Amino acid sequence: MASRTSKTFLSLGRINIPLLGFNKPSGKATYATALSINSSSGNKGLPDRGGRGPFVRRPRREAGEPRTGKMPVDQDWTAVYPSAAPFRPGSVPLPLRMGYPVKGGIPPEKKGNLELIKIPNFLHLTPAAIKKHCEALKPFCTEWPSALETDTKCDEHFPIKLESKEYVSAGPSLRNPSARIVHLTVKLSSLNLDDHARKKMIKLLGERYCKNTDVLTIKTDSCPLRQQNYDYAMYLLTVLYHESWKTEAWEAEKTVADMEDYSWEDSPSQKNILDVLLRMKVAGEGDGEEVRQQLLGRKDVQDYKDSVTRLKNEGESESSMLQYKEAVKKVFNM
Amino acid sequence: PCSYRRAPINLALRLSALAWSSSLCSFSGSRGLHVTVSCCKNRAARIRVGKGDKPVTYEQAHHPHHIGHRKGWLSQHTSNLKGEDGAAERTVEDVFIRRFMFGTFHGCLANEIVIKRRGNLLNVCAVMLQKLPPQKFYFLIGYTESLLSHFYKCPVKLEIQTLQDKIVYKYL
Repeated sequence: MASRTSKTFLSLGRINIPLLGFNKPSGKATYATALSINSSSGNKGLPDRGGRGPFVRRPRREAGEPRTGKMPVDQDWTAVYPSAAPFRPGSVPLPLRMGYPVKGGIPPEKKGNLELIKIPNFLHLTPAAIKKHCEALKPFCTEWPSALETDTKCDEHFPIKLESKEYVSAGPSLRNPSARIVHLTVKLSSLNLDDHARKKMIKLLGERYCKNTDVLTIKTDSCPLRQQNYDYAMYLLTVLYHESWKTEAWEAEKTVADMEDYSWEDSPSQKNILDVLLRMKVAGEGDGEEVRQQLLGRKDVQDYKDSVTRLKNEGESESSMLQYKEAVKKVFNM
Repeated sequence: PCSYRRAPINLALRLSALAWSSSLCSFSGSRGLHVTVSCCKNRAARIRVGKGDKPVTYEQAHHPHHIGHRKGWLSQHTSNLKGEDGAAERTVEDVFIRRFMFGTFHGCLANEIVIKRRGNLLNVCAVMLQKLPPQKFYFLIGYTESLLSHFYKCPVKLEIQTLQDKIVYKYL
């Protein structure tokens, strides 16, 4: 049809109207051939053979019945689709239809249906096929070791956990720069640290330490290879451990503001409570060191000390406020 | 004097006569510029409705805004996901493969080409018309596979289905 219209245009003479309105179904956008091509099933016309006689084209062989007609019901489907393959209408004996129906019609059938080819199909992953895969993989598998039944046992034997990601993508290249990142996690309680070492380690770690779970996380991505990042992470852990055990000279200058936990001894709260008690009842006994020591030894003062320490360390909550209230009442005999 | 004055009128008449016969002549007297409000019609990948004698396939009948609703995607790879790269390279490969197939199997393609990538493997699915004898088809398939795999340095598989004639979805 397109060729006919072009002929009528040209027959109008020397009018050179550019053929912009020409319907080009086989233009830049689409790569399917134009619809008007008539598939010649017979002889197009006998070419001139130069006197050798008429050329008889070999008669076109008719296509046979598709394989779907010859499939027994109990066939081995894993032989039809052994691996991932696009949809083949002649191999799938199902009356599938796919597509948006024309008005008053039904979805187009599976023969020549591009929509069925476009979608990924899982015809190669039937339960029978998966069972075969498992059977084939079994000889290469070993049992999970019995000493590592629970998570706690795994943590006990393997306290350091390393995490890295592998990336698979479609394309000729395997490399993905995000595959070099390594996460190293370890619980501080599984490391051999004394009190000073633990406090120093926590100060050195800063943000990498999570207080709630007592877990240290080191993330390394500065080197281009995963092996290098793993080595760097292990090196960092080693250095942190050894440094936290060392005591430097300048650590003696640690002030009260640097302390992690609140300690009641020599704090303003202790001074205050002792002053109040001295002024309250023991006015006659005078103010001396041994009086203070005796006061400190009293049970209600000890309770007061516990409640204040708890409030300062753990923060305010119902139970800690109640405890403080009880302690104060006892101290003041209310 | 009267003949002198008539000359320009005759000339104008002759000029307008000339303008009628050859529409490229543009030095007639009145030439106006007609402007309408611009009608921003979308013309991408659309075959306009006609008399009803133009057969179209399912792919051509549905417009691009139906992709994802009534049409699937002709090319599948992971590069368009979040955080993945290589989208531009895959697209350029796709365009080249479509042109290559269109030229190699000239006149035989019944519908668009579907390209699927599974890891390293490039899977080109095409539906063809039975225009060539099977031997020629086999040769062209082998030629395409080996040439493209050498070109792209990855295994290329061609999955061809053949039909007698194109499947017509409707007539526009």
